[in-house]
Amino acid sequence: MQATIEIQELRKQFGQTVAVDGLSFTVRPGQVTGFVGPNGAGKSTTMRMLLGLDAPDSGQALIGGRRYATLRRPLTEVGALLDAAAVHPSRRGRDHLLWLAHSHGFPASRVDELLERVGLASAGRRRAGNYSLGMRQRLGIAAALLGDPPVLVLDEPVNGLDPEGIRWIRGFLRGLAREGRAVLVSSHLMSELEDSADHLVVVGRGRLIADTSVAELLAAASGERVSLRTSARTDAMRLLAREGATVAADGPQSLTVSGLATERIVELLTTGGVPFSEIGAHRATLEEAYMELTRDAAEFRTVEAGADTAPGAEAATATANEAEGTRS
Amino acid sequence: MTAPTITPYRSELPPARDGFPQLLHAEWTKLRTVRRWSLTLLAGVVITVLVSLLSAFSGSSSVSGDRSAPPVGPHGGVVSDSFPFVHQPLSGDGSITARVSPLTGREGRAPEPWAKAGLVIKESTKAGSPYAAVMITPGHGVRLQSDFTHDTAGGTVDRDRPHWLRLTRSGDEFTAYESADGSTWAKAGTTRVAGLPETVQAGLFVATPEETMVQRQFGSTSVGGRPARVTAAFAHVTVDGGQGAWPQDTVGGGVGGGLKGTPDSATEKSGTWTLTGSGDVAPYTPDVDIAQQSLAGAQIGLIPLVALGVLFITAEYRRGMILTTLTASPRRGRVLVAKAVVLAGVTFVAGLVGATLSFLLSEPELRDRMPNPLFHPDVALTDAPVLRAVVGTAVLLAAVAVLALALGAILRNTAVAVTLMVVALVLPLVLLSGLPLDAAQWVMRLTPLAGFAVQRTLPDYEHVDAVCMPENGCYPQGPWEGLSVLCAWAVVLLGVAVWRLRRRDA
Repeated sequence: MQATIEIQELRKQFGQTVAVDGLSFTVRPGQVTGFVGPNGAGKSTTMRMLLGLDAPDSGQALIGGRRYATLRRPLTEVGALLDAAAVHPSRRGRDHLLWLAHSHGFPASRVDELLERVGLASAGRRRAGNYSLGMRQRLGIAAALLGDPPVLVLDEPVNGLDPEGIRWIRGFLRGLAREGRAVLVSSHLMSELEDSADHLVVVGRGRLIADTSVAELLAAASGERVSLRTSARTDAMRLLAREGATVAADGPQSLTVSGLATERIVELLTTGGVPFSEIGAHRATLEEAYMELTRDAAEFRTVEAGADTAPGAEAATATANEAEGTRS
Repeated sequence: MTAPTITPYRSELPPARDGFPQLLHAEWTKLRTVRRWSLTLLAGVVITVLVSLLSAFSGSSSVSGDRSAPPVGPHGGVVSDSFPFVHQPLSGDGSITARVSPLTGREGRAPEPWAKAGLVIKESTKAGSPYAAVMITPGHGVRLQSDFTHDTAGGTVDRDRPHWLRLTRSGDEFTAYESADGSTWAKAGTTRVAGLPETVQAGLFVATPEETMVQRQFGSTSVGGRPARVTAAFAHVTVDGGQGAWPQDTVGGGVGGGLKGTPDSATEKSGTWTLTGSGDVAPYTPDVDIAQQSLAGAQIGLIPLVALGVLFITAEYRRGMILTTLTASPRRGRVLVAKAVVLAGVTFVAGLVGATLSFLLSEPELRDRMPNPLFHPDVALTDAPVLRAVVGTAVLLAAVAVLALALGAILRNTAVAVTLMVVALVLPLVLLSGLPLDAAQWVMRLTPLAGFAVQRTLPDYEHVDAVCMPENGCYPQGPWEGLSVLCAWAVVLLGVAVWRLRRRDA
């Protein structure tokens, strides 16, 4: 079985609300795929359809080419974490994993192994109702890993975690992907995925906005803009605007310039006698890129198309990487 | 775009198993790992036993009653065996024939439908001794009865005209004949009576069950009985193989001593015997089923089990855990069936413990508090009807728990499901005496409450009219029949729950 998730023309409507509207994308093995969109964008509904919990109105969601309902030993094919709070509060953490293990004929030793792996070995005998949110997330991840599946589907696993927990989970997810697993992680905050996702599927109002690698997205969002740091902001603006550039001030000493190449800007400023302390290709954060993507529906298509075809994308990435060195 | 060198992950775990036994194991683990649920189960047992004990020890005890031993029939049960008996010895095979007039009641009253007048061949005049008898009845035509518990229907009888009867002995086999005119005879039936001596007593008898008076009103029901008395005339009496003289006896002593009108008697006038009698020849059925009463606690003990059944599924919905359950086992019908099996097994065992303890602890006390304990069968746990009631109670509780599970799965709401179950099972018990008898009996027949019929241990005889008051624990259907109704409810509702679970989004 190929360890992939395929979402094909998936559609689901609740009453008058279209939750998922013709969504298609593929999740490949060996990388963490972020599934991003604002709350209500249809991420959870898509995951529920993928896991056979809700029936799609049309289209299909496949795991390794099969519908979830047809999987015989699902825990060995897909590990899922939908809601970390979904444990009976009176049941001990270890017992929660134990019944899951028994449903697939795994021995209790497998449960202890996983408790150890997610760092709950000592808390396993406490009631799940007394767990912190972070501990529940760990328990949920242990449950997802119980059958050692090649595909993982995690809904908002970072939500509500403390910084230590976030760091742990990021490293954990990357580790799982490195082992060759396909990992799909949803979040409504792009920043949560900043250091863990390799690939992004961005949705809004049930539709696909972008299906792109993190690097490409950043490059596209950064565009051909140049960040400039100068003490003579007004002089610089006047000078550059005269040469046809669009200049925006983002701080008392910083400007973002578009329409001129970095080399030309350096030349102009030097000959014009305008002092500047720092210049480099503008590097967008994922959050900025995401904001740009979701600004309004009309823009969605252009970015979607541009992500694959923009000729300057590779170059911009290169510039961005070089520029990194010049930033303080 | 992505590195082409990725090798998809391959697990090195030993292969998993996904059979139904694994599902059962998982559900069993779920059930036993919530301590509150184990306590709920225990509460079911404790409440069953305590309520049974409470009702056994709270009843008034009467020590003043007559404690003389009642007659016991060949089947070992208490019997009514009291009638005027005009008889003569019959040695070996032979027969007795007579023309029997229609029965008349005391002082012009209509006789009871099961009043009897006819011919009897009996071991002796001792009450409870073996016999075979053919008789006419006002309500049920010609009957051939033997040893109290056996009854065979013969032909119909014209209410206004005398009817000819004949009873023939051939070894242990007795054959009854009937005729409207004394010349054309039809066989009414045959029966065997074991262990009769060579010489037996053949003769005439009349008997009648008591008149019963029932007063039902909301909250109270009183069933009263008083002796009845019937009279019939026997003409053309011949005993083939008899010995001539006609001694008169009253088997079992009369019961109608206090009644007005013609006393119990047997008189002969120009070859026609007129018999007036007040007792009955029938198995005795106590109006209180002690073994059934000893299990009364199950009616309240089921409440914790209902809660457990509902919670076993609604807790999963409340916490969202159902999503984990259904992702672990996408074949949803099997999940619910596995839950039902585990729940049924666990509640059956709890019910069995509760019912056994209830019976063992309450039954002796209940019997001891009866006006005359000797009229009630001294039953043991291993007697078939008691065993049926005790095991049946466990099955009943298991079925109720599964019903609760199914309802919980359909409604997905703990409070609503528990309330509905308790209302369905307890409210009818309270309201029964307020309903007309017919309506009350239909409630007992069709609602899940019918399952309680399995707690009944006293036999119902077709040839004995019993006053069957639902509020007194009498069910219009047999024990197994009632239990099947409850089980059918559980299975059908579980089917609906499975259907809904498979169709609806989780």
